[in-house]
Amino acid sequence: MISALSASLIDGLMIGLVYGIAAMGLTLIWGVMRVINLAHGAIIALGMFGIYLLFTNLGLNPYLGLLVVAVAGLLGGMLLYQLTIRRVINAPYLSTLLATFAINMIIIGLGTAAFSTSPRNVDFTLGSTNLGEITILNTRLVAALAALGITIGLYLFLFRTRPGKYVRAVANNRTAAELMGIPSSRILALSFGIGVMLAAVAGALIATFFPFTILSGDPYQLKSFVIGVLGGLGNPLGALVGGLILGVLEGIVPNFMPNTWVPVLEFMLFVLILLVRPSGLFGAKR
Amino acid sequence: MPLLEVHNLASGYGEVQILWGATLSLEPGKLTCLVGGNGVGKTTLLRTVMGLLKPWQGSVKFDGQDISRSPAYAKADMGLVLVPEGRQLFTDMTVTENLEMGATNRHSRARVKENLERVFTMFPRLKERATQKSGTMSGGEQQMLAVARGIMADPKLLIIDEMSLGLSPLLSLQLFQNLKQLKGTGLTVLLVEQNVQMALAVSDYGYVMAQGKVQMHGPARELMQNQHIREAYLGL
Repeated sequence: MISALSASLIDGLMIGLVYGIAAMGLTLIWGVMRVINLAHGAIIALGMFGIYLLFTNLGLNPYLGLLVVAVAGLLGGMLLYQLTIRRVINAPYLSTLLATFAINMIIIGLGTAAFSTSPRNVDFTLGSTNLGEITILNTRLVAALAALGITIGLYLFLFRTRPGKYVRAVANNRTAAELMGIPSSRILALSFGIGVMLAAVAGALIATFFPFTILSGDPYQLKSFVIGVLGGLGNPLGALVGGLILGVLEGIVPNFMPNTWVPVLEFMLFVLILLVRPSGLFGAKR
Repeated sequence: MPLLEVHNLASGYGEVQILWGATLSLEPGKLTCLVGGNGVGKTTLLRTVMGLLKPWQGSVKFDGQDISRSPAYAKADMGLVLVPEGRQLFTDMTVTENLEMGATNRHSRARVKENLERVFTMFPRLKERATQKSGTMSGGEQQMLAVARGIMADPKLLIIDEMSLGLSPLLSLQLFQNLKQLKGTGLTVLLVEQNVQMALAVSDYGYVMAQGKVQMHGPARELMQNQHIREAYLGL
């Protein structure tokens, strides 16, 4: 029992780190430009297909594929911002919701046409590691380490580099940033690109150990919302902790009750947080 | 040649016109003030000059270049910097980070260290608070930081909107002294103030605004002594 529990705890923590970076993408975009990206799930699914196609058709190592997906996500996100979000950035929330929802529908529609909805998987293993009685899948371990590295990288970017500080400045006070000579629309495009990149990379990492379809992004988008609210929307560190909480919940709960209870508990936690601490565990009180 | 020339500028918000053809010109190296009561259009004038509002008519020239239509962020590169009303600090960032964010244009970026030292000498208080989040400081400290952040941009013209608002007389006086000191380094300053007496007392030249227009201008000392102006526009 103890070893089963600790195995599911470790599993949960590893997956939670990946959830964390997916949620970071969502929460970064919200924090910087107050846009709720409803295409988040579809972009996660695109990340899954990105790594799949690179691996299956071109035989590219999935972790090299991950780099390609990251760069494509960054550039694609910036392009998406310039083509669409820029036009509704100052409009009421409903407009940005509808705009990103439309992007979501377009991606899913085209994806269904191109790939159908039959499940795919990246046929790749790294074997497993035994720690005493606990067995860890190496793909998950690598995914967790990659997620951790990406989180640290994001932090260093936001707090130690000039463009990262511009992102924080624009998030904090866009008019003042503009007056200080920061081209805020370019910084918004960059932030959106990073948000999309994080979603795509999370999808790609998940695809190395779970099968998926073009519709698979949806549950991860919902998880990202729960995690974002849990950690405080707009706070990347909160997203990481929220991801770990959700991951552990998913790991531990099936030991005690049927798997189908996991989302019930997750959304009960979501409602509870909204009731008790609407700004999230790490959210600033406004 | 004047550093800033505003000619017959009009603008407003939506359908509401606030500015009705304001004209003024600033000589380099001088401390000029723009005074007038609440709601006469001073801040609207600044927002239009900076490019945060589009001009409905008229022109703005800076350093001989027409900048009426250029975006706000491009102005810091030219050396035109506004310290906005209400400070508008990056409240989630530290004092030092705020100062760094002031130095984003081409020439100031290379001189961050030098300018940091300069503003820390001018405002030792900020040095003590260097790693503190700016939103947690007192109003006076925040105002110092707002001015210091403007100086970090290495501006040719520093425009300060309502510097003394909400500050104690003593602190206001200290900040005005700091500005005089800056003028000594060749910087051109435009002070936009409701605190008419103090502003005129430190300035070389003054503009008086009312009803969306510049009504009168002249050497600050003369404006101060003109009985008609004192009564009609300044409420003194």
